[in-house]
Amino acid sequence: MFRMILSTQWKWSRLAVVLGAVAAFALPVLSVGQFGGTGPSRWEVQAMLGSIQAWGVLYPVLAIVLGVSVAALAWTYDHRGRHVYALSLPVPRWHYVLLRFGAGAVLLAGPVITLWAGTLVAIGAATIPAGLHAYPTTLALRFALATLLAYSLFFAAASGTMRTARYILGAIGLIVAVDVLFAIAGLKLHIFESVFLRLVVWPGPLDILTGRWMLIDV
Amino acid sequence: MSHAVEIRDLHYRAGKTFEIRDLALNVPTGAMYGFLGPNGSGKTTTIRLMLGLLRPLKGTITVLGGEVPRESPRILARTGYVPEQPHLYTSLTVAEALAFHAAFYPTWDWKWAEELRGQFQLKHDQGLARLSKGEMGKLEMLLALAQRPELLVLDEPTDGLDPVVRRDVLTALLDYVSQQNATVFISSHLVHELERICDWVGVMDKGRLVTELPMHSFKSGIKRLRIADPPALPGDTPFVVLARESGNGALETWIVRGWQAPMSQYFEGVGASLREVIDLDLEEGFVELLRTFREPRN
Repeated sequence: MFRMILSTQWKWSRLAVVLGAVAAFALPVLSVGQFGGTGPSRWEVQAMLGSIQAWGVLYPVLAIVLGVSVAALAWTYDHRGRHVYALSLPVPRWHYVLLRFGAGAVLLAGPVITLWAGTLVAIGAATIPAGLHAYPTTLALRFALATLLAYSLFFAAASGTMRTARYILGAIGLIVAVDVLFAIAGLKLHIFESVFLRLVVWPGPLDILTGRWMLIDV
Repeated sequence: MSHAVEIRDLHYRAGKTFEIRDLALNVPTGAMYGFLGPNGSGKTTTIRLMLGLLRPLKGTITVLGGEVPRESPRILARTGYVPEQPHLYTSLTVAEALAFHAAFYPTWDWKWAEELRGQFQLKHDQGLARLSKGEMGKLEMLLALAQRPELLVLDEPTDGLDPVVRRDVLTALLDYVSQQNATVFISSHLVHELERICDWVGVMDKGRLVTELPMHSFKSGIKRLRIADPPALPGDTPFVVLARESGNGALETWIVRGWQAPMSQYFEGVGASLREVIDLDLEEGFVELLRTFREPRN
């Protein structure tokens, strides 16, 4: 049963997964690609860290894009058929949802593994100056968690009906509207910003997506 | 008599205008039950409620001895379903659709599925998105049959199909029923189609069950009577008067249900004269039944 769910989901999301896997492999390699010489100067070390930091912005972006794509594609065909096929299959609803979720999570393992492979290739090719350390496994684990987080959030949102989506968008719209009204009235209450910060700053659940994503660091 | 499907006091509402009220329905085990009704009468909604796809506001549904929706997965494993609109994943090929479906049904019969695929001239590598309406109808029927179900629920399975495909689909269905003694619940607004294959009939209109009876009673009991000098009020008739229409002079036409030949004595008793008894076919009977249900008169 799971194998069949996995095969349908692979068929629907293979383009996103394959492109994501290629990008995940390329990112760490490109971030250190030009720093392969022996005994790098101080200037080269700074340039290397700058490059790794600049490319590092793309890891959470890739994690979000991958998670969102695979989550959305997991439900596209069920939405199209108004879920009649899924509901008429002889499995409890929670079981079907779990199968779909699990299949997506398995597919996301591909890009995570290629990212880890990319980090190993990158640190093998680069000369790491004394005092600096490489964190290939930590970076890959962080990427895995960030991807899983984005996937889980959007999987849950995408599994709902259009009515649920409207409620979520309505709630966001209401917060923004209230913020605008407060601003017009001259009140210094920023609800949207406050909610956003609670989500992205530790212990907020989206904290993992923010901050520095460094393959090589002190 | 045991029942494959029993519905009691069912209530469901969709939006502000459509509702199913106080629905009670019994499908005898082993019957071919034709579920008739005009478009929008609530047939598809009733089927979806019966299979646990929708949740009722009130009432009980028992299918194959299990309570819906509590035992839906167990019931669905023994039920073949062909929905009104094709519901399969159109990104798959025929072979993939068969493999996907088979994975969920422990009673799936691969040998028979392949036989049916050959009979229906479906190719393994055909993409579902490129199947014609007829081919998709055949594939839907194949999937429902090859799981060897005890109950088949078919929602307008031949709607929009050409006569050749329709015949193929119905032949496969009848073959299966004759082998397995399965119960079939088939909805349609094509009255003649059900007339040929069903032994029970239920008529639905505006979210309510108008009548439910054996097909032979439905077919033989609905008559058009030509009556001379009819009484102004029919009074206590041994049959059900569905409609009265004035004709030329003293002649009147009555549409009645539950008619039997000895009942002609009733007219002598009220001073009227029965001139003619005309058989109605199922479609005429169905139309008259709905007309009376919508505008009751006596």
